Amino acid sequence: MSIIEVNGLQKEFFIAKRETGVMGAVKSLFKREFTKKEAVKDISFSIEKGEMVGYIGPNGAGKSTTIKMLTGILVPSSGDVRVNGIVPYENRQENAKNIGVVFGQRTQLWWDLPTIESFELLKAIYRVPDKRYKENMDIFQEILGLNEFINTPVRQLSLGQRMRADIAASLLHDPAILFLDEPTIGLDVVAKEKMRTFIQEINREKQVTVILTTHDMEDIEKLCQRMVLIDHGQKVYDGEILAVKERFGKMRTLVVDLEDTSKQRFVTGGELVKQEGNRYWIRFNRDEISASDLITQISQTHNIKDLTVEEPDIESIISRIYQEGFTEQQETVQI
Amino acid sequence: MGQLNMYWTFTKKAFLRSAVYRFEVWSRTGSNLIFLVMWGSIWTALYAGREEAAGVSFTAMLTYIVVSKFLDGVNEAGTPLWDIQEKVRTGDISLELMRPFDVPLRYLFADFGSVAFYMLTALLPIYFLLFLFMDLTLPTDGFTWIYFILSAFLGFLIRYCVEMTFGLLTFFLVETGGIEDIFYFAMSLLSGSVIPLWFFPGWLETIAMYLPFQSIFFLPISIFIGQISGSQIYMALGIQLFWLVVCYLILRLVWNRASHKVVVQGG
Amino acid sequence: MAIVKYINLYFKLIGAGVRAQLQYRFAFIMRIIGMLTAYTGTAVTMWVMLYQFQTLGDWNFYEMLFLLALSIVSWGFCIILFFHFRSLDTYILNGTFDRFLVRPINPFFHFMAMKFEVSSFGQFIFSVVVLTWVSFELQIDWTIGKAIFLLGVIVGGVLIQGGLLVIISALAFWTTKSEQFYWVAMYPARNLTYYPLMIYPKILQWVTAFVIPFGFVNYFPSTVILEKETPFFPDAIGYFSPLVGILFFMLSYFIWMQGLKRYKSTGS
Repeated sequence: MSIIEVNGLQKEFFIAKRETGVMGAVKSLFKREFTKKEAVKDISFSIEKGEMVGYIGPNGAGKSTTIKMLTGILVPSSGDVRVNGIVPYENRQENAKNIGVVFGQRTQLWWDLPTIESFELLKAIYRVPDKRYKENMDIFQEILGLNEFINTPVRQLSLGQRMRADIAASLLHDPAILFLDEPTIGLDVVAKEKMRTFIQEINREKQVTVILTTHDMEDIEKLCQRMVLIDHGQKVYDGEILAVKERFGKMRTLVVDLEDTSKQRFVTGGELVKQEGNRYWIRFNRDEISASDLITQISQTHNIKDLTVEEPDIESIISRIYQEGFTEQQETVQI
Repeated sequence: MGQLNMYWTFTKKAFLRSAVYRFEVWSRTGSNLIFLVMWGSIWTALYAGREEAAGVSFTAMLTYIVVSKFLDGVNEAGTPLWDIQEKVRTGDISLELMRPFDVPLRYLFADFGSVAFYMLTALLPIYFLLFLFMDLTLPTDGFTWIYFILSAFLGFLIRYCVEMTFGLLTFFLVETGGIEDIFYFAMSLLSGSVIPLWFFPGWLETIAMYLPFQSIFFLPISIFIGQISGSQIYMALGIQLFWLVVCYLILRLVWNRASHKVVVQGG
Repeated sequence: MAIVKYINLYFKLIGAGVRAQLQYRFAFIMRIIGMLTAYTGTAVTMWVMLYQFQTLGDWNFYEMLFLLALSIVSWGFCIILFFHFRSLDTYILNGTFDRFLVRPINPFFHFMAMKFEVSSFGQFIFSVVVLTWVSFELQIDWTIGKAIFLLGVIVGGVLIQGGLLVIISALAFWTTKSEQFYWVAMYPARNLTYYPLMIYPKILQWVTAFVIPFGFVNYFPSTVILEKETPFFPDAIGYFSPLVGILFFMLSYFIWMQGLKRYKSTGS
């Protein structure tokens, strides 16, 4: 049996409409209209023990709504959720013992107190036995280097230190599953890299199943073997990261401004995705053709006024998958 | 002229903005009415069936309280003290220093907008009905109305200057706990908002007379119920004008100090 | 068993809360001074009011001070235990409330134990000084029975006012607002109770006796202790304060839990 099973999960909200203009303003004093929003339309997936899964999608795609249903904070409108065999919203407290949650932007630690105090309070809340507590704290010291700031009040920690403390705090009671929401947000490049190493080590050391939501494509690339992509409340991709990387991670877009477009010719190895006036967007796979080859091809017949090469970000990849599905690409375009 | 136009924009914007916060409108009205009932009941019990006390009839006294709660509503629709303090703490006010307008004036004009909205949608209809159905005295001649409105407006401006000044003190103090409470005490007792000055013990009445707070409630309401009449009215308006000038100068002084502090020390 | 563990946990959690607040000593002292100023202001207003009129209803200045102090002493405890409930809306809005839902303990308990507002010394100083002074002026005979009754009344008052704070916070689950409800409903309602309820319209007295039982916080018990009459109500009604407190608090807990259920289905 999988450690997390989600089947036909749905969640709807009702949102008040904002009226505009003077009359609308006065009107809204007395009456308000609501619109239905389907945050999660129909999502199914299952996750095996010890997996590290990236759960990603653009803002408002339904990521955090799903996570909230998995942690027992939200009750689904319909569908089944099982986390470690427990229905989270029915047995919230029981489920809470099995999971650890880190919200990247909000700490779960006691802001004004030395960091160690938060750990002691959490020990009491989760009833962690003394021996287990000591062992875990030793492990965290080893992996996360907690001791260097354990007596500093949380509000004085750097963002990177705070994230480390937050991750340790969420693992104190040996949860089987760890939910990480934007664990590297706001960190600088070095701290990000460190954080990823921590997460990897913890996954290996403690055999924790990790579900990671993030905006950072690199987080996913470095940490996860698998990712679940959602957009507009629906699953658009679920599978190996490698496959997506093969398909999109190596994709680049060459943007060229041409002097005149009267002459036409085929360029091989790229795909025209957009054209506005004399500006062309040509997508290509950097493993198959280099940007300079492509430029050479074009410059044989056209005068290039200006050019840039764009790398894909996660948002654009997702929206592309969402629009086009996961299909094969064409090789030849006409410009 | 262009200047005035710009400030007028703040008024319009604040008017529209008030409508978005519909809950505030209802809730402020609710609490205003609770306090009206409370003070109405207290004065009914104090008079205990007597027709008059200290030369003031019961009807006049009840009118005093109703008008006072109306003015309370008007004054509370402006930017409240805690909001100014919050804006100082978060640095919102410091940011506005970079813009090409006078900050205290900008807030005053914005207040005009929110006050206008609150008056039109809540205060005027409700208090109109109150005057219709309760046994209260209304000024009979038009001049008294004009003097009252003028006096109440002066009171509003004085209150604005005082409240803004108290709010700006946040620039200089780490913790403002006691400051607010002094302000609210002065606003409720010394202004005569719940007890008219003529019921004060002599010494306290004298103190209150020499402070600006009576201009906010006591003077306009006394004009309304006819306790201040004839040439006394000009005297009262003169006192208010005097305090407006003084309070405005103090506000300017505090504001200059505050903005100087921001410019030099970065807030 | 479970209850012992919870009590233990409660002390651990509030211990942390207290230590956190003591980091801001200056703010702490200023708040005490502020509170003292505010309540003294109310007392001075009462004095000025009665300077001409002597009595309000049949209550004189000292009796009214007693009424005020009785309300404020239980409010002081209430601030310690429940005052942070009013800002539940902020916790929900910035997402920190979810923290209480990912832990394996009762969320009501967890939220309650999160803060232990120690700044209500102002309330205690004010009410103890006033109660002592008034006891002399009115020559109240503090028998053991009366003293025990006073304690019961304070517990009842804490539960009633705390219960209302809990209900107000629960409103955030439905309306996403709670702090404002405090300022527009509970704050004025508490102000009403500074004066003897008998002066208010009958409907209001009835509401404060049976709907939002603020009458049992100070007015009804004061009439028992000061041996005064309660028009419209049986004179012994004040004895029910502790019971009313317990019942009202149970009701408010139930409402809060219903609200939580609703929060879990809407998430906002």
